[in-house]
Amino acid sequence: MREICRSIKKKDHDPKIEGRSRYLADYNLTDSGREILCGKLLRSQYARARVKGVELPDMPDGYIYVDASDIPGDNNVNIVLDDTPVFARETVEYIGEPIGMIVGPDEKEVSRLISETKVDYEALEPMTDLRKADKAFFNYEFGHGDVEKAFAEADRVFEEEFTTGYQEQAYLEVQGMMAEPEDDGKMYVHGSLQCPYYVHGALARAMGTGPDGVHIYQDVTGGGFGGKEDYPSILGCQVAVAAKKANAPVRCYFDRREDMEFTPKRHPSLCRYKMAVKDGRVTAVDCDVIFDAGAYSTLSAVVLQRGIIAAPGIYDIPNVHVTGRALKTNTVPCGAYRGFGAPQTFFAVEMMMSHIAQALGEDILEFKAKHYVKQGDKTSTNGLYHFPVPIPAMVDEVDELSDLRRKHKEYSKPQSGRYRRGIGLSTYFHGAGFTGSGERDIIKAVAKLHKYPDGTVEVLASNSDIGQGVRTTFPKIVAHELNIPLEKVYYDHPDTARVPDSGPTVASRSLMTVGELLRRAAIKLRNIWVEGEEQEVEEHYKEPDFMIPFYLDRFEGDAYPTYAWGVNAIEVEVDTYTGVTNILGAYASFDVGTPVDYNIVMGQMEGGFLQGIGYASIEKMDYDKNGKIWNRSFTDYLIPTAVDVPELKVTLHVEEYPDGPYGAKGAGELPLVGAAPAFVAAVEQALGGAEKHPLHSAPFNAEDVISELNKEVK
Amino acid sequence: MDGIKFVLNSKEVCYTGSAADRLLDVLRDTYDMKSVKCGCKEGECGACAVLLDGVLVNSCCVAAGAVEGSEITTVEGFRETEQFKVLSNAFAGLSAVQCGFCIPGMVMAAQALLSANPHPTDDEIREGLSGNLCRCTGYNAIVNAVKNAAKEGEGLW
Amino acid sequence: MVNGYSPKSLQQALLIRSKEAVIPYAGGTDLMVQNKKGAVYLFLNKIDELRQITDDGEYIRIGAAVTFTEGLKSDLIPQIMKEAVSRIAAPAIRNAGTFGGNLGNASDKADSVLIEVAMGAKVRLLSVGRERIMPVEEFFIKRGNTALADDEIIAEILLPKDKCSAPFYYKKVGGRNALAISRVALAGVYEIKDGVIASFSAAAIAGGGVFQRYPEIEAGFIGKTADEIKANKSEYLKAYSEKLTFARGRVSAEYRKTVIMNLIGDYIDTL
Repeated sequence: MREICRSIKKKDHDPKIEGRSRYLADYNLTDSGREILCGKLLRSQYARARVKGVELPDMPDGYIYVDASDIPGDNNVNIVLDDTPVFARETVEYIGEPIGMIVGPDEKEVSRLISETKVDYEALEPMTDLRKADKAFFNYEFGHGDVEKAFAEADRVFEEEFTTGYQEQAYLEVQGMMAEPEDDGKMYVHGSLQCPYYVHGALARAMGTGPDGVHIYQDVTGGGFGGKEDYPSILGCQVAVAAKKANAPVRCYFDRREDMEFTPKRHPSLCRYKMAVKDGRVTAVDCDVIFDAGAYSTLSAVVLQRGIIAAPGIYDIPNVHVTGRALKTNTVPCGAYRGFGAPQTFFAVEMMMSHIAQALGEDILEFKAKHYVKQGDKTSTNGLYHFPVPIPAMVDEVDELSDLRRKHKEYSKPQSGRYRRGIGLSTYFHGAGFTGSGERDIIKAVAKLHKYPDGTVEVLASNSDIGQGVRTTFPKIVAHELNIPLEKVYYDHPDTARVPDSGPTVASRSLMTVGELLRRAAIKLRNIWVEGEEQEVEEHYKEPDFMIPFYLDRFEGDAYPTYAWGVNAIEVEVDTYTGVTNILGAYASFDVGTPVDYNIVMGQMEGGFLQGIGYASIEKMDYDKNGKIWNRSFTDYLIPTAVDVPELKVTLHVEEYPDGPYGAKGAGELPLVGAAPAFVAAVEQALGGAEKHPLHSAPFNAEDVISELNKEVK
Repeated sequence: MDGIKFVLNSKEVCYTGSAADRLLDVLRDTYDMKSVKCGCKEGECGACAVLLDGVLVNSCCVAAGAVEGSEITTVEGFRETEQFKVLSNAFAGLSAVQCGFCIPGMVMAAQALLSANPHPTDDEIREGLSGNLCRCTGYNAIVNAVKNAAKEGEGLW
Repeated sequence: MVNGYSPKSLQQALLIRSKEAVIPYAGGTDLMVQNKKGAVYLFLNKIDELRQITDDGEYIRIGAAVTFTEGLKSDLIPQIMKEAVSRIAAPAIRNAGTFGGNLGNASDKADSVLIEVAMGAKVRLLSVGRERIMPVEEFFIKRGNTALADDEIIAEILLPKDKCSAPFYYKKVGGRNALAISRVALAGVYEIKDGVIASFSAAAIAGGGVFQRYPEIEAGFIGKTADEIKANKSEYLKAYSEKLTFARGRVSAEYRKTVIMNLIGDYIDTL
């Protein structure tokens, strides 16, 4: 491996482990020494209702109520569309929707006032069934080849339906934001967030100030995983409106239950797949992908785009037709979660391919292998796989780690005891960076390096370190190119008043895209370096020359410049008495290009993989017919503990990407994407295979196993 | 009425608030022990774990009145020790700290584990950390860091 | 102290309990989650008399304020109890949570209480000048409700010694391997004398607000050989299947029923 891969001590290690890092809840006073008021949201009790009035209790001195009427600018949070309000408009659209906020010095008193506030509702009929939902926020369709002809000429046609559930990000630090009116009239908003400039854009609009009237800072952030991509824009606007009215700093952070129930999650999905098989090969795929968007559209457009582009998987299928809809239900709006739409469709396509192989009497691994795309093949959107597809070699690597091929054959034999075993494989990609032309047309990232006279260099960018390590890897790249000690380069948490917009911390783009800008900036600085002088250099994003332009209106072209690749094998033992599935081994090979710090990348891979295993197995969350979420605490929504998995066996396969720094590609999301199909396929094999027990849903927990086994009895 | 006297990181203190207050809130709000993190207030995540008379507890599930006469150790106190330095180095060596929010609780759990069992097996380490949720790492790096610390710090526990 | 009492002795504690509206506090792991507004606690966690595990020849007596971790370290605590207690939550909870608290909290998912029910354990209750000893099964009325009087505290749990060394069956099924509340659990102890079953118990956690144990079915095991029981396994299962009740709950009744029946079958297989 390259020198840049060598692991170094993370720059934020000491303050974090010593407990000195200041997360949002850790502020006693503001930095300017002011008292901080506590804000709590008044939330809708109804999934859909007209709000006829709000009756406040007697408000003690120093306590105020704010709602939509206090918003200086627009009551629209700038996300993708403008349908998400800062505070509820005339109607509320989901249980928990913020109607207003009560603000005051004492937290307990604020809670009391919230609990004593009466809201007069006129209840309306909510939509709380995805299968009946008919309002599509987004409706896409694309394809190529002649699907109808392929189905007409097929030897066999397979049709199946797959469902996946919510997934809660379950970052250990809950959501929280704070707003401070400043002496010069500006509003300073900061907190636990991924995308300072998203919050900035939202604030500028809601506060009606324009971009110069607000600035945003990212505090130390206790995990994001997508959950703090869009939501801090909403909460940020709410605290800013309150701070403006109170003319005092206002902070709002949630308790765990509030966070679990009322903040965005991964979209539940319903995917209907139809595949044609001719002469032992899949010749056509027709898929209809439905995502449960919740009550407002927030990020659903982009989540759905990524999901449907991945819908045909990594298989070379000549005829493709895909439709995708994000439907409105009166439930909490879904948003971003690591993988961003792809885990849902990869679950469906991987299970589908495995089911077809079994129906044809073919070995699943071999059946998949003969369909793998390769370099030079067309993507689902008629772009190209410009670079080598290392999947076959990675399958071999996983086989070496797990003894996959032998075990797969062994577990295919009939099993009859209480404990039964299975091993499942998934093969997949994750498109690196933004979907489509967003990077070129919308983000237009800019990054800077500022050199001080003493020779220290500051990285100026807007990417947030949420645990993934950019405060370490960005300086590492810069120090490497400048050939100066790492101690001489630093990257602080971004403040939009000081840093250019290098884009959001999403889409596995930070290291690949912004890291490359910094690498080029460092080379530029090296070339003009004058000892003792203050100097600054700037780099702008340029789309790689090889890209086939992407057109969103017809889903044509390169949706991604390159892909990260993943192969997972999960081995399980199912206790048929209790349904409990014990994970015997979880194995993976991941190709994220060059790891710009081996330990940091391995940490991403292992952490993401376990989140995927949780998604596949025990992380169940659902809502009832009233639109109320059942699982709203760590007691009811279970995530894996240290004893729920053995040591994860992960290896890196390096296929360098020439336009990423030192060959690095997108990394963060990939490891989550393939765990669900690998796990569920393993359980399916343990239960006797798809002929006996074809499985179609994730997560698949102990209750699902028992319910499946009970079908045998009936 | 008397306050609640206890020893916090080797210093005697006297808490005069309600005995029913959560130790978590008392530590954070009254004594500014901000290493003690609140992740759930239900004993389900371990982010607020501290040592109570040398034993690991979730401070969200302890009432202030229950620590009368006891000794509480948080990372603010523990970070001055040799044992902490060994643990910190071991965590650093594997980049086991990502978002960092679970880490102070995790470190206290590791300290409790190694104090009771200086040579734990992998399974014993996982068991010892099983009440501390981490959403970032997948636990590999943390478990291995504790294992390395036990080796590096031979004799300290 | 404000909103709390920290008695130095059991006598002092009983006196306070008799006069004030206090909530007995042993480990706090359940009470603090509920975090009742305005609660006034009677802290029992430092009272030595409540922290002993002793053997009086007839019973193993577990003080109410003995923590699960302390129980796990004691040679006096029977293996079945250790297996159950070792699977409660995680170390930090086991370090604080107590046997008395687990019972007093009146949860129908309490792992140590299941074992007490299966063993036919008793609870010793004290108030000023009064002692009551009653079967745990009688003390635990239903979820959220026990026979504890307003002036009483739980002092000890009494495990009958003849059941402490008996063969046993225990299986807990939670949602994951740690930090998991029992969704279904089955515990039982039995004795074989002269080749036949001399005593038999089976207690279940399966939802519905109670621990389920059916002496009339258990009586049918007495006097039979293990082989006879296994040969008639389906009869026993049928009897349980007709008796066990499964109220609606977050975890489906179908799941709880299937699993508990599987475990009863497994228990019979291991006799």
